[in-house]
Amino acid sequence: MSDPREQRLAQVITEYSIGIAPGQLVLIEAPSLAESLVLEMARSALELGAHPRVRLGTEGAQRAFLSEAGEDLLRKLPPGLMTEMEEADVRIAVTAAWNTRELSGIDPAKVAIAQEARKPVMETYMRRSAADELRWCVTAYPCDAYAQDADMSLAAYRDFVYRAGWLHLDDPVAAWRAFAEKLAQLTNRLGQVRTLRVLAEDTDLTVGVAGRTWIGSSGHHNFPDGEVFTGPLETETSGDVRFSFPAVFSGNEVDDVRLRFEGGRVVRSEAAAGEDLLKQMLAIDEGASVLGEFAIGTNYAVDRFSKQILFDEKIGGTCHMAVGAGYPETGSTNTSGLHWDMVCDLRSGGEIHADGELIYRDGRFLPEFAPDLSPPEA
Amino acid sequence: MSYTVADPRLESLARILCRYSLDVQPGDVVRVHGPATQAPFFAAVAAELARLDAQPMLRATSAALQALILELGSDEQLTTVTEIDRQDSELPDKTLTVWADDNTRYLSSVAPEREATWQRARRAISDRFFERLASGEIGWCGVTLPTQAFAQDAGMSLADFEQFVFGAGHVADDDPIEFWRRQSARQQAVIDRLRPVRELRIVAEDTDLTVDVGGRTWLNADGRENFPDGEVFTSPHHEHTRGHISFSFDATHHGRQFAGVRLWFEDGRVVRKEASRGEEFLTGMLDMDEGSRYLGEVAFGMNDEIQTGTRNIAFDEKIGGTTHVALGAAFPEAGGTNRSSLHWDIVCDLRHGGEVYGDGELIARDGRFL
Repeated sequence: MSDPREQRLAQVITEYSIGIAPGQLVLIEAPSLAESLVLEMARSALELGAHPRVRLGTEGAQRAFLSEAGEDLLRKLPPGLMTEMEEADVRIAVTAAWNTRELSGIDPAKVAIAQEARKPVMETYMRRSAADELRWCVTAYPCDAYAQDADMSLAAYRDFVYRAGWLHLDDPVAAWRAFAEKLAQLTNRLGQVRTLRVLAEDTDLTVGVAGRTWIGSSGHHNFPDGEVFTGPLETETSGDVRFSFPAVFSGNEVDDVRLRFEGGRVVRSEAAAGEDLLKQMLAIDEGASVLGEFAIGTNYAVDRFSKQILFDEKIGGTCHMAVGAGYPETGSTNTSGLHWDMVCDLRSGGEIHADGELIYRDGRFLPEFAPDLSPPEA
Repeated sequence: MSYTVADPRLESLARILCRYSLDVQPGDVVRVHGPATQAPFFAAVAAELARLDAQPMLRATSAALQALILELGSDEQLTTVTEIDRQDSELPDKTLTVWADDNTRYLSSVAPEREATWQRARRAISDRFFERLASGEIGWCGVTLPTQAFAQDAGMSLADFEQFVFGAGHVADDDPIEFWRRQSARQQAVIDRLRPVRELRIVAEDTDLTVDVGGRTWLNADGRENFPDGEVFTSPHHEHTRGHISFSFDATHHGRQFAGVRLWFEDGRVVRKEASRGEEFLTGMLDMDEGSRYLGEVAFGMNDEIQTGTRNIAFDEKIGGTTHVALGAAFPEAGGTNRSSLHWDIVCDLRHGGEVYGDGELIARDGRFL
């Protein structure tokens, strides 16, 4: 039975996040268990005069292929993918899973090879996105597997997901627009900063951001959303960072990741669990051990870690950074087959200093630096 | 490590389809399209293709989505064919079509003109596809999977229907591919017997039909383009058919139900018709276009594992000991020239007293070739 909030989510994404125009080719990708949401999105796209095309994933197919495929086969670009990325005006990706550990028995090296093979597609994607030729949005469908990872019932998890998108408000779009204005003020201020220093438990990391563009994420590329991000200078990251939450990659969890950067590159990596995978992923290509993104989560309706990066990186009061590919629109020049986000909690005792000045403490920007980013009450 | 799916019969089926029917080669791009509800089958085929070093292009479809697009889409939305639609047909070396409806009436609330508009816009793509298929440049197979909806139409439980479908494909045999090679040889022997025949006369209950097949090519349907399979077929000289034929089984065509259909032919053309059920649709179908009152196919079902009608023509036309003729489109590869948008198969049981004469000589009795 379809949840009536799915229709609202589909409308907010097609009308606000993307702003679908008549005649556009709208590619919707989703696992088949999200079919009810996909149907609502296709309905909205049709009503807006666009041409929806859907790619449904089926349970177990990816694992079956990865399990049996040899290296040469994995290195090939999946047929048709590049044309899709070149032709689509809009791409909506819905994430959901039957089992988030589906790929746990697959050699991570194979997953990495398959990912690396997609690098040209990812580059096309990012290039067309930067040129505003391709509008895209990633959203999540509340499913049992995600609820289980978040230690929640499906009903409670659905509430969490839809509240995170502020769909419980009478006019979510108005709230997202107001939020976008506040983020613009914040990114203006951050744009003047040359160096950021993040202090937290076992963390003292300096990131060079001079001349790079800060972007406020207000529900266009991700939904739910809420972060400000940039692409750090590739050679200036230095110091130590310890990530508070496990990093999840293709169903494998890497716990208590600690990285040391020198001259922009990871020079030491360790993890309490999954260290082999961590080292392997950092080595898949040149760009994989360089930060492609540095960001601060600003959605204060997302208040718990749920092991889904789409939500975790938005948690109000955290910062995150991604090793691997950067977004060219931020000025980042780092390319890689990898883009792996890791989240650091700043809510108890964390600080951010901008060019030596304290601007953020205990998960909140100081009022003199940025407006209050809390979403309105229902 | 190897991937195993819940039903080993699906793994066997995937193996037969990839290694025998489609004869997948390393480097092939293989498109698999069918309902997303057939996840275990998609997984089994993806694994088998990976073992063969072929690239799967999985296109899981949603019946609800298709119905939604046909219902809500404007003419412009229905007729717009994008580059990614074209490449779905253009890119693959082999295509596997999965027939596995979850509701055989899923398009019943869609006006047939909407579907026709959709199909017309894709005519160039499908023409090119069939052209390349006929030239051997690409390969294709259509497989029917057991579903609750098909089982329901057949009046069977899903468990019984699965037995029936997998039995018809000899999927659980020790060496199914060897079975299909032997079946192919058996059918070839029948073709060798039919090849010199000019005039075929089919006599059965309420049936006495004469068709002219002189010089036409008989084709061996041995599990390569349909699965399960088992028939030999050709396209007759469509202006020479005479006599009458009766359907022995209830039939479904595009969601419409027919029973007790009888057709009379003169100079190849249907000149009289009757049906105990579905009569109201019969005229529309026969008058669809110039070619819809002429035969495009005559064939003999040769699958002895299929013995009863299931209201699914993919199985009914292969019942061992039956013959079928199709109104409408002929097969160019058989030498047929009748053109139509219709291709409607009519199955006639020969197992109880039926006789087939080739140029006046008895060549089959009770559904068995002598």
